[in-house]
Amino acid sequence: MDHLAEKYLRPRKIPSSACSGCGLGQVHKKILLAVEQSGIGTADLVWGTGIGCSGRQTFNTWKGDNFAGTHGRVYAMAVGLRVALPEEKKILLTVGDGDAFGIGLSHLLHCARRNVGVTVIVADNFGYQSTGGQYGYTTPHGFVTDSSPYGTDEPGWLQGGVDILDILKSAGATFLARHSSFEGQKAVDSVKKALDNKGFSLVHFIYPCVTHFGAVGLKSTDNGEIVRWFEKLFSTEGKSGSGPHFSSGITHDAAGSRPEFAAALKARTRKIREEPHVQA
Amino acid sequence: MRTFFDTGNAAIVEAAVLSGCGVFSGYPITPATEIAENMSRRLPLAGGFYIQAEDETAALHICIGGALGGLKTMTATSGPGYVLYADPYGWAISGEVPLVIVNAQRVGPVSGITGAPGQGEFYLSRYPTHGGNFETVVLAPNSVQEAFTMTMEAFNLAERFRTPVTILADQLVTDGYESFTVPENEEELRALGLEVIPRRAHPGPDFYPACDALDVPPVVLGLGLGAACSDWTPTAEGYDTEDTAEQMRHARRLIYKILAHRDLVDRSELHALEDDPDVVLVSYGSPSRVVLGAVKEARRQDLSAGCIRLKSLWPFQDELFRRKAEYFVVELNVEGQLVREVERASRRPAHFMGLCGELPSSAELVRAIRRILRGEALPPATDEREIR
Repeated sequence: MDHLAEKYLRPRKIPSSACSGCGLGQVHKKILLAVEQSGIGTADLVWGTGIGCSGRQTFNTWKGDNFAGTHGRVYAMAVGLRVALPEEKKILLTVGDGDAFGIGLSHLLHCARRNVGVTVIVADNFGYQSTGGQYGYTTPHGFVTDSSPYGTDEPGWLQGGVDILDILKSAGATFLARHSSFEGQKAVDSVKKALDNKGFSLVHFIYPCVTHFGAVGLKSTDNGEIVRWFEKLFSTEGKSGSGPHFSSGITHDAAGSRPEFAAALKARTRKIREEPHVQA
Repeated sequence: MRTFFDTGNAAIVEAAVLSGCGVFSGYPITPATEIAENMSRRLPLAGGFYIQAEDETAALHICIGGALGGLKTMTATSGPGYVLYADPYGWAISGEVPLVIVNAQRVGPVSGITGAPGQGEFYLSRYPTHGGNFETVVLAPNSVQEAFTMTMEAFNLAERFRTPVTILADQLVTDGYESFTVPENEEELRALGLEVIPRRAHPGPDFYPACDALDVPPVVLGLGLGAACSDWTPTAEGYDTEDTAEQMRHARRLIYKILAHRDLVDRSELHALEDDPDVVLVSYGSPSRVVLGAVKEARRQDLSAGCIRLKSLWPFQDELFRRKAEYFVVELNVEGQLVREVERASRRPAHFMGLCGELPSSAELVRAIRRILRGEALPPATDEREIR
């Protein structure tokens, strides 16, 4: 990450305080690779973060402008910010699964419905790991966590025929992709396309938590073993099981299919000012 | 000058537009809905943006986002929505975001009665979020004209203090129709003692300086200054920190930037206090209009009474309550909120009349003044109300 860190990140925040074996750094790196390959400079992008491992670890790491929201609210903040900023400034949000698919889901769906020009990177570690490993909304059904000692009693957003990305697609998102933190350029390419989309983009990254989900849910702190379990989720081998299974890559690309929220609002406002009679 | 005959809601909107509000975000709720409706009609014509939010939590967050992008922003609601502001209100206080929040108070708790005035958020407006370690600025109009003036002043105070400012109105002020005057040019603006302070942007790198100074420009994102703002305790440059010394520094800034400049906030209207009357009525908002009438009537009946109307509620103006008089507090809640603050400030018990959703009559107040002057206690609020 050295040259990327030097180019884009603040020395004071790097290296991060993430646990050893955490996959978040890999997600962070893929975002920066996409930023670099897209020719985006530090003044071109405002970086927002949520609450939890992915939010706190990435907050104010960016050499450009940074903001953080309270839990689940950064999508609503981004709506106002998007309207205030010039169209060419990009807004990127790094958030966790609890933030996006739990407490902030309503705001996230409304952000997708409006097709607000933001790129949301959900770094998903299958639960609330920064508070010590409680189950979340992507934790596979039946898994033991610190708040489900007998196994979870409810299904997550990623199983039983339900996929949170399908829900976001129905809500109006114009670019959606899913990857694991182990993937390389393919994942970087998805982030590049997400950043390039003028509307609402979301890339769902699944990454391993060794300290909590690994230790409690998978009963292992062996990095290799945990990584193999995560890889299985994306492989044909995992398809036969009852748990979650995904194919990696772009799941929905409708970039440019409908107007971006702030651009449309600004165009409409100009029209109203030019022809006030269209207003009652 | 242009004169309108319209509601307090309409007056608030005219003031916001004149102040240069760039984003209004709200959620429909009686009796503040007309603010949203009027904004949706007026703002685009002035080049601003109306964004209807999915809930009040989102509404205030959208306003914060707009403000972080360099625009002036406002939201408006009533009690059930005001309580949902708790989360973003804290962000705006700690992140030092200038914006304006209107609460058209109605009777509660919870949904209560939509079409009746209340004053149940007196304390909530002091502590609209969790965590402590902050002061709030709260203004309380009692007429449509004042709703206009105070909204313009609220926008300016928000800029100068770099903090959210609340207009704590009530349903009678926001729904009531009265004439109000709006300036049409700079000269008329100045004639009304008003001005428009433009939005500025902090140049960095110390976005959160340890000082009680006024007029520190707010953090604006998108300028590529390496700005940082968050819900976490900030270092001077905006980094998140777990250092308690930094938290103390931040808390002192949030408190003393306001307390050191009280003269800009403190507002009150005193009537018939020159001869140190024996009874001093205390109120704010709509009840203050009946109180003023009652004091005038009491004076006609040679009763020794005067009144204090609070036009700013927080920080509380303790120094107004150093008189030898018996304080008699009138408010639109039955348990008594303002009365507790008056008792604290005056360091002795006060008399209290609290009603739910309707104003007391002038005659009722004059009778109460007579009782107090005779040394009798007022009937407790739980007793059936005296016949008017």
